[in-house]
Amino acid sequence: MNKRKGRGRFIFFCLAPALILYTIFMIYPTVKVFEMSLYKWTGFVGEKTFVGINNFIILLEDDYFLRSLQNSILLIVVVTVFTISLSLTFAGILTREKIKGQSIFRIIFYIPNILSIVVISAIFSAIYDPANGLLNSFLALFKPGDAEPVYWLGDQKIVIYSIIIAMIWQAVGYYMVMYMASMSAVPVSLYECADLEGASHIKQFFSITLPLIWTNIRTTLTFFIISTINLSFMIVKAMTDGGPDGSTEVFLSYMYKQAYTNSSYGYGMAIGVVVFAFSFALSGIVNGVTKRENLEY
Amino acid sequence: MFRKVISGLLSVSMLTVLLTGCAANTGNTNSTDDTGVTTEPDTTVVVDDTVDQPAPPEEETEAGPSGTVKVAVVEGAYGIDLWNAVIEGFNGVYPDVQVELILDKYVEDIVGPAMKAGDFPDAIHVATGRPLALTESFIKDQAMVDLTDLMAMTVPGESVTVGEKIIPGFLDSNATNPYPDGKTYMTPTFFDPCGLFYNAALFEEKGWTVPTTWDEMWALGDLAQEEGIYLFAYPTAGYFDAVFYGLLYEAGGPDFFKSATNYAEGIWDTPEAQSVFDIVAKLATYTEPSVPANANQENFLKNQQLLLDNKVLFSPNGTWLPGEMADAPRAEGFEYGFTALPAITAGGDRYSFAWFEQAWIPAGAENPDLAKIWFAYLYSDAAADIFAQFDATVAIPGAGERLSGEKQLFYSIYDDGAKVALGNFAATTPVEGVNPNTVWFDPVNSLVSGDKTAETWIADVKAASDQLRAALIVE
Amino acid sequence: MRKKMNGGRGLSQLIIYVVLSALAISIVVPVAWVFMASLRQDNEFYGSPWTLPAGLHFQNFADAWGEARMGEYFLSSVLVTGMGIILLLALALPAAYALSRFRFRGHKVTGIFLMAGLFINMNYIVVPIFLMFVDADKALRTLFGGPFFMNNLFILALVYASTALPFTIYLLTGYLSTLPKEFEEAAYVDGAGYFATMIKVIMPMAKPSIVTVILFNFLFFWNEYILSMTLLTEMNGNRTLPVGLMNLMKAGKAAAHFGQMYAGLVMVMLPTLILYIFVQKKLTQGMTVGGLKG
Repeated sequence: MNKRKGRGRFIFFCLAPALILYTIFMIYPTVKVFEMSLYKWTGFVGEKTFVGINNFIILLEDDYFLRSLQNSILLIVVVTVFTISLSLTFAGILTREKIKGQSIFRIIFYIPNILSIVVISAIFSAIYDPANGLLNSFLALFKPGDAEPVYWLGDQKIVIYSIIIAMIWQAVGYYMVMYMASMSAVPVSLYECADLEGASHIKQFFSITLPLIWTNIRTTLTFFIISTINLSFMIVKAMTDGGPDGSTEVFLSYMYKQAYTNSSYGYGMAIGVVVFAFSFALSGIVNGVTKRENLEY
Repeated sequence: MFRKVISGLLSVSMLTVLLTGCAANTGNTNSTDDTGVTTEPDTTVVVDDTVDQPAPPEEETEAGPSGTVKVAVVEGAYGIDLWNAVIEGFNGVYPDVQVELILDKYVEDIVGPAMKAGDFPDAIHVATGRPLALTESFIKDQAMVDLTDLMAMTVPGESVTVGEKIIPGFLDSNATNPYPDGKTYMTPTFFDPCGLFYNAALFEEKGWTVPTTWDEMWALGDLAQEEGIYLFAYPTAGYFDAVFYGLLYEAGGPDFFKSATNYAEGIWDTPEAQSVFDIVAKLATYTEPSVPANANQENFLKNQQLLLDNKVLFSPNGTWLPGEMADAPRAEGFEYGFTALPAITAGGDRYSFAWFEQAWIPAGAENPDLAKIWFAYLYSDAAADIFAQFDATVAIPGAGERLSGEKQLFYSIYDDGAKVALGNFAATTPVEGVNPNTVWFDPVNSLVSGDKTAETWIADVKAASDQLRAALIVE
Repeated sequence: MRKKMNGGRGLSQLIIYVVLSALAISIVVPVAWVFMASLRQDNEFYGSPWTLPAGLHFQNFADAWGEARMGEYFLSSVLVTGMGIILLLALALPAAYALSRFRFRGHKVTGIFLMAGLFINMNYIVVPIFLMFVDADKALRTLFGGPFFMNNLFILALVYASTALPFTIYLLTGYLSTLPKEFEEAAYVDGAGYFATMIKVIMPMAKPSIVTVILFNFLFFWNEYILSMTLLTEMNGNRTLPVGLMNLMKAGKAAAHFGQMYAGLVMVMLPTLILYIFVQKKLTQGMTVGGLKG
């Protein structure tokens, strides 16, 4: 009896502080966000006016919002596909192939993840600069002197991809290290058997490595969606501020502009609610679609 | 369609609620915060009582005003030294008034949160058109103190009133009088003409003359193009406000400007408006093509650098440009020239937009009477002399003449026949998803890169104008 | 160890090296460039960004440290990050331990409740948090005559720790549930209580994941600026390093101090680099997000 009672109390004292603070600083503010999305308020001193779901009705017809939605989805899809496949490939190579300097590569690839966004945006501004940028200077070697330079951040058909490249660059190493951790847990004996049967390394990658770390990939996908929404905002804010002419506007950057620059705080919070619902739904869908029989070794 | 009707109805009823709410609330906008730390209704009453009281003590009497005035200032072109000097001067006249200065490049980040917490500065020197839109929010909330009585106050040590001292016309636009009641809620302080900068040495060297009409401008653009120089580069699309406002004045004069910025029905279909759109669209085709790539807060200096490198002929900016580019390298012999916008027709009016920083008193201020004394002092000759030492000018006549050299030249723009363009888009309650700057000026980037046609731009402007008209703050 | 490669492998090997090296260069060169740029004089920033600096202008660092007050901000950042991580570990470790090693009523609900936090974005809950503190301060001011929650480094650290809880608990739970049960059972047999077992037996075994948690959250707390900007608003008061950096970067009609700005960038970046180099070996061990077996 003593033991059982102590057990319950122990669990309670382990969980209570975390749950209380989590509720105060995350759940309660989120509830407030939902509440504020039903009001019209400039965000400073004026009256809050209850407007029901009007903010959401306006959202449906707001072309700028729809474009930010489109951009966000494009970013999430493209960045996810490229980052995950690149990092899986690199992780596969670095764990399975005999690469000289393997640990050096691993250490270096992770570095972009630890840089602050401000540093990353400064770096990419210098890379994408139309006149003196690293990319255009490099491309100029292959082009006649008077050819029109590429406007990486000015051409509206390209700029979103320039952002995508920066985001992939930032994330590949992080996910690579994560996959390396799980790949190194796959028993070597499985690969040795496959070697004996004469299966190529590429085949081994697809038929052994991928299935065995599938659960890990699924989990990272969920995190990826969440962090891409957040990261795309930070990068966009620092590099283009949504420009030129709104062509790189994403969910959260648009939310900021509405809530602060356009004095429509309630409307901004309605966008916040949509972002929350969207990331929740998308994670659910991704989770469902990627469901496979769990493999064990 | 149905949804449109519903949302239309909703917004109309919402507006009525909002307006009646505001009307019931004027002068006591902070009533939502019921702790009453700062804004008790009687504070406002005190304001009204003290209208004529704060006459400056001509001879040292014991009746001088006293207390602490909290002043929030954007640290722009001028740093802390200027303000310390001004405060010293102010204390020479009002020794018993302590000035508590809040100075920051983004002072909104400091006073904005503080005001939400019920802690209001007495005087706020923050212009409209800044990213955090603090001033716009207070206009929309109608939470500013009426400054009509400030204009009737005597400038300390002088015999004129503040209203008489301020450059004529500067108190006649919605940049100071945002509402249809015509009362002044913001007072103009620092003042910088905006126009087109060019390299005077380059013009001399090539034997070109500075164009006085847009047709001459285009001809010069073609000529320069042959030498590999583009006609035009703007820092960010936001700088088109000064250009666009100036063009509206040139196209149809002050009344037209007023109708346009009040979103009058059909105004964007007029030939005057069309001529403005045409010029902006044509200017876009003469713009250096890398400009949109750098037209953001991070990289706009690169666009300004184009002018210094003789890669473009003209760049629209305010007179703070040389200070901003002080460290930048430049073409040999570079010499700033500054001109108003060319006229639309030969012999027509030319305009230069007068940018000024608004200063205002939030309705929650504890000492609005002291804030008014502070403002009044800024227009004195003594203060103007202090400002001039730091190359700054307030909106009083002759302020430019106090400056030295280069900067004096910029302020002479109006002496050379250019007219003053003043004003702003009219105040509305917030319209969700519609921000005038985003609709009117940002698309210039798309016009330059060819991602949007002028027709789409104009159609968007008209649609936004209709929405904003419905939200205008009426009397 | 492996069998001799046949002909095509030499080529694919080469391609692999080229690709890996290209990516490595694309990371090392820009980072080195930031260091280099921090030694330029202000007027060197207008030309090509890829030339070498004319001289080593260390004055940038002195100016940023003193004039731009980055030195003070550095100290605030160290304090906030340190307190945040200690608080976080003190909160998250017991919670993760309870969730991973015990089955109790409401176990599943608690887990889901915490996971929901992963979808909450910091960017929109900032203002509600701020308003909550403002209201609390108003009440306190009438009671005790002074505010408490705003402009308080400890409170900022507490908010950091709280918002990092869902991910951290998730990460730790995943790791802890992979540990074998035998050690705890042995400890119970020896008469150790729950608490002692957690501290003496489990914590040492959880070290790799704790290292990972520390690095991840160090990066998050150290680089965070939105909360910090909103909750530390006093004029001339405390700021954290990223907010100080943003102040340096703000364009404002006056000549920009690029040199100081890049020196500030280096100050923000250097501690994270150093910490990373120290813990990078341990990093992979603790990263079993989701666990291999789900």
